Amino acid sequence: MGATVMEQSYSRFNKQTHIAPLAVLRIAFGSIMLVSTIRFLLKGWVYAFYIKPKFHFTFYGFDWIKPLGAFGMYTLFALLIIAAILIIVGLFYRIASITFFLCFTYVELIDKTTYLNHYYFISVMAFLMIWVPAQRYFSLDVVRKPQLLVTQVPLWTTGIFKFQLVLVYFFAGISKLTYDWLIAAIPLKIWLPANSQLPIIGGLLTQQWPAYLFSWAGMLFDLLIGFLLLSRKTRKPAYLLVIIFHLATGLFFKIGMFPYIMICVTVIFFPPETHIRIIDFLRRVLFRSTNSTLKTEAVYQLSAYKPKLVFTVLIIHFAIQILLPLRYLLYPGNLYWTEEGYRFSWRVMLMEKGGTAFFHVKDPATGKQTEIINSAYLTGFQERQMATQPDMILQYAHFLAQEYFQKGIKNPIVTADSYVTLNGSGSRLYIDNTVNLAKEQETFAHKKWILPFKQTE
Amino acid sequence: MRKIIYLAVITVSAFILVQSCKKSAGSDDNGTGDKGSSFDRKAMLTNMSTNMIIPAYTAYQATTVTLDAAVTAFNAAPDLAKLSTLQNAFQAAYKQWQSTSIYDFGPAGDVGLRVNTNTYPTDVNQINANVNSGTYNPLLLANLSAKGLPALDYLLFGTGADNTAVLAQYTSDSKAANRKTYLASLTAEMKTNASTVLNAWNGAYKNTFINATGTDVGSSTGQLINQIVYDYETLKNYQVGVPAGVQSMGNTFPQKVEAYYSKISAQLVLLHLQALQNVYLGKDGSGLDDYLVQANAKYNGGSLNDAIKNQFTVAIAKVQTLTDPLSAQITSNPAAVTAVYTELQKLTVLLKTDMTSSLGILITYGDNDGD
Repeated sequence: MGATVMEQSYSRFNKQTHIAPLAVLRIAFGSIMLVSTIRFLLKGWVYAFYIKPKFHFTFYGFDWIKPLGAFGMYTLFALLIIAAILIIVGLFYRIASITFFLCFTYVELIDKTTYLNHYYFISVMAFLMIWVPAQRYFSLDVVRKPQLLVTQVPLWTTGIFKFQLVLVYFFAGISKLTYDWLIAAIPLKIWLPANSQLPIIGGLLTQQWPAYLFSWAGMLFDLLIGFLLLSRKTRKPAYLLVIIFHLATGLFFKIGMFPYIMICVTVIFFPPETHIRIIDFLRRVLFRSTNSTLKTEAVYQLSAYKPKLVFTVLIIHFAIQILLPLRYLLYPGNLYWTEEGYRFSWRVMLMEKGGTAFFHVKDPATGKQTEIINSAYLTGFQERQMATQPDMILQYAHFLAQEYFQKGIKNPIVTADSYVTLNGSGSRLYIDNTVNLAKEQETFAHKKWILPFKQTE
Repeated sequence: MRKIIYLAVITVSAFILVQSCKKSAGSDDNGTGDKGSSFDRKAMLTNMSTNMIIPAYTAYQATTVTLDAAVTAFNAAPDLAKLSTLQNAFQAAYKQWQSTSIYDFGPAGDVGLRVNTNTYPTDVNQINANVNSGTYNPLLLANLSAKGLPALDYLLFGTGADNTAVLAQYTSDSKAANRKTYLASLTAEMKTNASTVLNAWNGAYKNTFINATGTDVGSSTGQLINQIVYDYETLKNYQVGVPAGVQSMGNTFPQKVEAYYSKISAQLVLLHLQALQNVYLGKDGSGLDDYLVQANAKYNGGSLNDAIKNQFTVAIAKVQTLTDPLSAQITSNPAAVTAVYTELQKLTVLLKTDMTSSLGILITYGDNDGD
């Protein structure tokens, strides 16, 4: 029985479908990445985030990822732009998609200050794009080498994107099932009134009920939208909802390109006929060609060794995708407070958290101590992010210990007074200010020096 | 398909049960009373600009006019009486500056009013070099710490042991003429900057300010709050912390206090803190206090506004224990000054973290997307 289920799903997996959705996804993803990258450059963020800071908060295990200096960083971004263009037109697609994934992920790994779920999402999407033959239709690669053309691809090539998107939305929805979000309507009760200057709806936003409405609507949207997009019957209204929901969040919150990225990539849920029409439309507009889609049938075949490799990679990928957002269950305490297991879990816009951290370095030999001027080492943005995230506090403390060791203090004692407010709780001491952070090691284990979050003090 | 939905429903229910038990403080007592009416940010901005900002610039600009005139009179015929008049005009300007420095955005940001007016400790070597060479370029970065109030502080009080000795620098000294010219360039520059900013506020900028009613970084509320926090931190760090040695392993730097030579440092700290309190309260009109009350902001079970008002009172009482000359107090009793710093630190957290977080205002001197 096990074998038949396996066989069934395997054959379903390999069932053929038209390649048009992949080509459209390639063009959509490439285009939105091109715009995002150019926007990032124009905002001056390459300098602000990767050239100006003297210190970077690297990810655990990725200390070897370093910023490449001004020339290196701009080269990296130039590569991203070139790769995005090549992805759009489908030229040297394999190299381009691998380059894009590597360069983008490299940039993201330099500093966790800039970590955003939507950057992580882009890395994941770019990774998946590598494994599919998205260049073998309506692309320059096909013009270059006509024998590359295929019209039929296995179902899994589009299925992986749908599955990934369903996971993203569903986990985002699950993470909203909390007392704060649903019953107290926080943080929206804090965030929405801040938009009261908006025309027409602005006045409403200061009332209580819109916060509840948006909280519940957001939760239901995230939980269900993936499934509504999958189902043929609900797909069209669901996509309309996608557009409305993401544009609305884009209006209220400063979330950059994220709404447009989601609106672009969810097009993948539409059936091949829709994508064929899109491509025919592009053909007419771009090349004034009335040729409809080629009628030739060419089936995509992975060469003999490849299926095993590709399927292994994909199975590992999705196992990680399913388990990673659940790892927080292994940690004690309030997840929003400790943020242990918070990243890479599609926890989007869930909390209003702010903090201020004062660091002290003490010379054990003389007993003299000094407060650190954080702005001497960190940018304002880094300082703000660091103050509320224990792993960053620890990294900075280690950096300070190193810094003062070089100034001639043996075994400097580094302590932090960090005051954090979570969802309007009022600021309270965040980590144990008697602990010498210079002696604490970063691990995946629970950090015992994070003070527990109490209701009131 | 149906199986997937069932599975989803079961998972979801399980998570609701598990997660609903956890909650963060502050969220439970937010339902008290239906706050139907919204906070009118425009009214607050109107009050701030009409009753606080423009009067501050008007008064400050007037002191720079008086100061510049006093320099002109002194330069024409330097004597002890005119020196004394000039010194008084200087002190009046410095005191008024304490309630003017806060608003370093818009027109003030454009001319860099804060750094051009009050970068201290002043660079005595740079000043003397300028005097000796008889040249002064206001645009030169190195001259930021050789201009404005701190430079005048040195030129009018620090160039001699007493007023007779100071006066000699403007009469019998070989560089007397250069020194007078330098004095005149500095006060003229201050007057020009103050007038530029005041004119802008009296012109179109007031409307711009009142109508940028959002809460993002470029909005008036955002800029105002960011600058209040920033200005408060300069008070805490540079008027008190740095000279008291808080950030230098306990090694004190008494000469780094503001107004070191005229010895009015402690007075200025108090005026500055009171000015910040005044802005927070919006004087008698709509201020950040009303905004926090309207937002029902909490601090550990109580009202955040009460906590901030209380901490202002505590900090002001503590600052009143500072004595002039502050540099002498730092030398004789650094612990007393450090104790003041500790109390000021608490207010930093309330303003920078609690206030901004409760109002959904992003504290930032940079920029980035969220998610």
